[in-house]
Amino acid sequence: MSAGKDAEFSRKLAQKGWVGMALPTRYGGHDRTAVDRFVVVEELLSHGAPIGHHWVADRQTGSVINRFGTEEQRERFLPPICRGELSFSIGMSEPDSGSDLASVATRGTRAEGGWLLNGTKVWTSGAHENDWFVVLCRTAPLEDGNKHQGLSQMLVDLSTEGLEINGIPFLDGSPGFNEVVMNDVFVPDELVLGALGMGWAQNTSELAYERGGPDRWLSTYGIVEEFLRLNEGTPLGERAAETLGWATARWWGLRNLSLSVARMIDEGKAPSIESSLVKEMGTRFEQDVLQRVLELVDLEPSPESASLFERMVAAAVLTGPSFTIRGGTIEILRSVASKGLGS
Amino acid sequence: MTVLPEVDELLSESAERLFADTCSFDAVEAAEETGWAPEIWQAVADAGFAWIGLPEQAGGSGGSLADACEVLRIAGSFAAPIPLAETAVLGGWLLAQAGLALPDGAVTVVPGLRADTLAGSLADDGSLTLTGTAHRVPWAASADRIAVLVPASGSADGGVVAAVDPANVQIEAATNVAGEPRPRLTFDSLTIGADEVGQVDDPTTVQQLRLRGALSRTMLMAGALDAMSRLTVDYTSQRQQFGRPIGRFQAVQQHLVWGAQDAAITNMAAQVAAGHASNDLLGARFQIAAARTIAEGSAATATRGAHQAHGAMGMTQEYALHHLSRRLWAWRHEYAQPGEWSTEVGHQAEQAGAEGLYPLIAS
Repeated sequence: MSAGKDAEFSRKLAQKGWVGMALPTRYGGHDRTAVDRFVVVEELLSHGAPIGHHWVADRQTGSVINRFGTEEQRERFLPPICRGELSFSIGMSEPDSGSDLASVATRGTRAEGGWLLNGTKVWTSGAHENDWFVVLCRTAPLEDGNKHQGLSQMLVDLSTEGLEINGIPFLDGSPGFNEVVMNDVFVPDELVLGALGMGWAQNTSELAYERGGPDRWLSTYGIVEEFLRLNEGTPLGERAAETLGWATARWWGLRNLSLSVARMIDEGKAPSIESSLVKEMGTRFEQDVLQRVLELVDLEPSPESASLFERMVAAAVLTGPSFTIRGGTIEILRSVASKGLGS
Repeated sequence: MTVLPEVDELLSESAERLFADTCSFDAVEAAEETGWAPEIWQAVADAGFAWIGLPEQAGGSGGSLADACEVLRIAGSFAAPIPLAETAVLGGWLLAQAGLALPDGAVTVVPGLRADTLAGSLADDGSLTLTGTAHRVPWAASADRIAVLVPASGSADGGVVAAVDPANVQIEAATNVAGEPRPRLTFDSLTIGADEVGQVDDPTTVQQLRLRGALSRTMLMAGALDAMSRLTVDYTSQRQQFGRPIGRFQAVQQHLVWGAQDAAITNMAAQVAAGHASNDLLGARFQIAAARTIAEGSAATATRGAHQAHGAMGMTQEYALHHLSRRLWAWRHEYAQPGEWSTEVGHQAEQAGAEGLYPLIAS
């Protein structure tokens, strides 16, 4: 499920020192490890905290700017990220580029002092309310057999002239998804993220941050916790106990595996294969948890139910299929992971 | 955060080398045919691995339970056909707990199945008379001693441990689906002299043995899953069809990735559980039960995927996959009733309640 958005919550959380934790103190961060951040994030997610406003910036954009950005970019973007103020969207997918991300058609053409962006991004979550997004685009012509060259990442203000945001309602009618059309959107040179032409490598490393964390196996955790809360005082039958045991054991195992991805990030590695393995497995598990709960309880999920549990189940039924799609489909993750296995 | 003991890398490396040198394809095949692998056992004993994790004053090699578990994990990855778990983690441990001497050779242990009728009566002179049958006692015919735990009738007491010479027991051959010896033993009013009988006062001994049993199979399965994943990746990168390695096909890649995940999560779970168990065995009930639950699920899915990826070749005796897959099919049933460990985790989660569930997951 998607976390709620609450800019005030993000700001307060930042005052506690829990946003931008792993970023350097000189930019307003806290120089903590990825493991420290993991521990805070799992608490937030398991409590269903409304972290949507700062989530993308905290999970990936901040780290990518810190790792690849210019000094000027770090000074400009990291402090407001660490204050929980600045919100980011992800500008990767396009109408004709999903899993085959290197085929993006959005083009940056040289203009005086910068670049003009033309193209369309889709499935851009939160673009209608966020401040910025990072656009993956082609800044040099596609050469045969070398599609990973000539790509760049750009930091784009979502209120820039020439940029049009059209909402795409989710299957249940709720807002969140967008199409972002760019017509001659001017991006000054100083907003090219990191090095020109290094977009693919930077993007790959960004995906490692995006893929291996607790948000990839906790989406349906709240349902089980609520199930336990509702049944407190009534002994669970053997069947329910076995299901609960299966899920709890796997959460424990996935958590340890996911924690090892955070440790690898702390060791300076880019664990893209490991994080793909975790995400592929974790998101399938999130769906399995929902299915096993549905098999256990007698209910017809209803979004309007008076019961929190029933509303959570209804929301998970409707958003569940996205778990294994967003942030890289499980099919593409398998492809990434199997290359790493040496096949 | 609990600090878990780290296993010395040198220990893993030397165990890896030893099992690689001794557990060749032919050696594992021969062990299945004859029921015993004296050369492998001797090499493992000479290296001190057979008594790892047992205290030196009891005749063990020292080291922690985590060390013993790591060696077991590696033994599992080589399908080592020897009673290493029984000697180092189960039977040998029981003998040491009861103050009994460790024999020169292998030790096995009565796992204590529901079908067992084995009972013992302790005489005033300290001797113990055993009567009844015990099922599926690993390598009983090849062991120097069979460790038998007879729990005391009152739950506040521990029990009595006897070191039984297999020569005095009627042994009916039987194997598990991996062809490992799991004979049925009949004790016909067999009296064990007081010098081979020891008291254990700790009332948790039965529970500890059960946890150690589950942990030992978890470690073995973790190792086997890891080796099976690597074997499958290797095979599918060499086997060509339609002009390219079959591992390039997405349908086959799915088996490889799922197998690698089963191996990764089980190894992670097993090693974390071993660390907790090494610190405090009874305190590690949750971690052992969770790791055992994960291993059982992984054994089922990973063997299916590995066999599918190997095609007909994996179904033959001449190819090594069955050394691993058959063991996984056997080990998943040992020290586990169907659903036993997942239900145990479930009841622990139930006890933790809604507020305690995540802290349990993070433990």
